[in-house]
Amino acid sequence: MAKEELREELLKELNEGVVEFDEERVKTAAQRVLDEGLNAYDAVMNGLAAGMEKVGELYDQQEYFVPELLMCADALYVGLDILKPHIRPEDIGTSARGQVVIGTVQGDVHDIGKNIIKMMFEVAGFTVHDLGRDVPLEKFVEEQLKTDSEIVALSAMMTTTMMGMKKVIQMIKDKNPNVQIMLGGAPVTSDVASLFGADGYAESAGNAVQEAVKMIGNLRKLQNQ
Amino acid sequence: MSVMTPKQRVKALFNRQPVDAMPVFSGMGMVTKQAVEKMGIRFAEVHTSGAKMAESAIKSAEMFGFDAVVVPYDMCTVPEALGRGVSLYADAEGILYPTVPNKWGSLDEVSLPQDVNSIFSQGRMPVVDEAIRIALAHDGGKYAVGGWVLGPFTMGGQLLELDVLLKGAAKDKERVGAFLDKMTDLVIAVARHYQDLGVDYINIREMGSGTDLLSPRMWKSLIQPNLTRVFQALEAPRVNHICGSTDLIVGMMNECGAEAISVDQKNTLTETRKKIGDGVLLLGNFDPYGLLVQKNVAEVAPAIKKCIDEGVDAVWPGCDIWPDVKAENVEAYVKAVREYGAGPSPAVGRI
Repeated sequence: MAKEELREELLKELNEGVVEFDEERVKTAAQRVLDEGLNAYDAVMNGLAAGMEKVGELYDQQEYFVPELLMCADALYVGLDILKPHIRPEDIGTSARGQVVIGTVQGDVHDIGKNIIKMMFEVAGFTVHDLGRDVPLEKFVEEQLKTDSEIVALSAMMTTTMMGMKKVIQMIKDKNPNVQIMLGGAPVTSDVASLFGADGYAESAGNAVQEAVKMIGNLRKLQNQ
Repeated sequence: MSVMTPKQRVKALFNRQPVDAMPVFSGMGMVTKQAVEKMGIRFAEVHTSGAKMAESAIKSAEMFGFDAVVVPYDMCTVPEALGRGVSLYADAEGILYPTVPNKWGSLDEVSLPQDVNSIFSQGRMPVVDEAIRIALAHDGGKYAVGGWVLGPFTMGGQLLELDVLLKGAAKDKERVGAFLDKMTDLVIAVARHYQDLGVDYINIREMGSGTDLLSPRMWKSLIQPNLTRVFQALEAPRVNHICGSTDLIVGMMNECGAEAISVDQKNTLTETRKKIGDGVLLLGNFDPYGLLVQKNVAEVAPAIKKCIDEGVDAVWPGCDIWPDVKAENVEAYVKAVREYGAGPSPAVGRI
């Protein structure tokens, strides 16, 4: 089989394996990518991430719901764990390199949205410092300073914990005005993000998933240009 | 002129008997910061004392003219009693609700007591009991007292990591089904306990099961049978509350057997009323944080009127009232319910 033909076949396997949350299929295809000496980053972006884009469409169309999204994410991680150690820095390029601090703010133990965003950053080649959930506000500031991360991503699923975000943003911007702050979670709106002084937001828990998937898509487009 | 006490008004509404005015109440927490401040305590203190819990609820009702008091305020009392712990955030700035810190990480870790009634002496369960007793006795039983319990799926998500539950619902159906069966027994036991204490209505909050999370098909197979069993095991009046997207499942919600359906602001009330008819109480559906905390007071009355115009029998917030309310907005909400709710609603007439 010609190399390009093989590449296409394995990308399709990875893509469909993610969409159909078939972890075994993804595992086999990812290993074959390495065995055949194909490009691991190409397999991540145009196989796994492309599959996740399709998952986003199915979610938009209400064919998939959160259980399916989570299973698709698991399948993606199976492939990512195999392929990631073999990604060469020159493949990622400067546009997608960086570090991000991510966590769910204090009082909020819901971390499904946060974990999907984390996956998106990992797919894109970022180094992710995951603080977990129910994170005291000052911990975000400490971790950003310690790691010199360019992005801090905060998640709150409940209105009741959203107000903590405002304090974190102020604390971080006071120390380092150049840090980009992303907010996500069900109660966060563009007005809230803007009012709190954030640089970006995802409209809702469901929308955070879509935004993450779109961001993966955008990164793929950039990479393919 | 009022001819009914708050309790009589709420009870009549649930019996679908004529009322003198639309009651102002909820099946979720209605504690306000104004009441907590008047007591001179911090919000975190209301969760650990039956007396303070009851007083903060009663004071909120007295200050703003609510017809009912509802306790407890947080969703951790049962998980705590089952050994999952509780984070109370006693030192945090501002208002934070308690959370469960140690959920089971897998179905293998699930461990429930042989006798589910043993939980009523554990954790803060006795605190809630005390609060209910105080609320029932206050001022000669003036206020209706509402009790609530999470629905089986949502209770499961408070005890077991939510991603484990959600993924298991799709790929480990048998074990998740067995787990939810146990959750149903647990919910029934807690709800019956509150009914035995004398609450005037019980709200089952299956809030984690809207179609933001689960497909209607999964709702029908995984949620509906358990909710139906819960309502069959309880005395009336019973409320079936789900927040988030409910348009696609509200017909199935109605089949579960409660006297009342409660939905949040994502529901299309006019369509829901058509689906369920006028023989069932419909409660809803304003956004409590948006309307009572964020918006201008002038925006409150039109939002309340819209709920009534679209066919609710009582205007309920879509979730707990966030305590940090603007007093003038709550006053406008109560005034608007009385004013626009003067006439009969689809399921309840007027004296």
